[in-house]
Amino acid sequence: MHYTLLFYFDGQGFSGRKDPETQKKYQDVWRPYRTALEEAGVVVAGGGLDAPGTARHLRVREGKTHVQDGPYPETKEQLGGFIVIDVPTLDAALDWAARCPIAAHGCVEVRPEIIANPCS
Amino acid sequence: MNYTILIYEPQKEFAARKDPEWVRTFFPAWPAYTKALIEAGILVSGAGLEPPETATTVRLRDGKRLVQDGPYAEAKEQLGGYYIINVPSLDVALDWAAKCPAAPYGNIEVRPNLDPKACS
Repeated sequence: MHYTLLFYFDGQGFSGRKDPETQKKYQDVWRPYRTALEEAGVVVAGGGLDAPGTARHLRVREGKTHVQDGPYPETKEQLGGFIVIDVPTLDAALDWAARCPIAAHGCVEVRPEIIANPCS
Repeated sequence: MNYTILIYEPQKEFAARKDPEWVRTFFPAWPAYTKALIEAGILVSGAGLEPPETATTVRLRDGKRLVQDGPYAEAKEQLGGYYIINVPSLDVALDWAAKCPAAPYGNIEVRPNLDPKACS
């Protein structure tokens, strides 16, 4: 079963990744987590996202494309990245979510992937 | 450059996925869109997510695991899926986002991915 772990960061979490002072600290906590996931052989896909300020969002209404700066929606914490893992149960997915470095100050959302995957 | 297309859908669209009429008339737009991304040679990965009510959120506070049912943000529209694409510029990423079948009824966020080396 595929589960997606969605990592929500606050503003400090995002700036910490780019600031040379804190970047090493960030890498020091994420690297062992990535390694653990890879060694467990559960990673399907994933990506870290740049800060919300780099986002655009768009909608098409009556054939017209409207583009706006910034993320969608406007919330205090924003998606900072995600990892799709292949584990047998939700409990196993929650265990991985709890081990994620952002769980201690941000939030991790765990959601099953739809069976009728549009990518297949 | 990798960009992530985040697809935000209103609740009634999540519910419609179970409707046979929707599956017959609208669903084919999704594999067609995915096929176009594959044929353009730009698709890195992607996943459709089950509806927000299947989500669980996890936080660690003072070493204690706090688990809650439901998605992280109580927003009117929720993440329904994503695609990671590899294209040369944000403009090209926005063009692809505008072609996404959810663009006429949802909101599509486009964000650059972090350099994977920055997370490793």
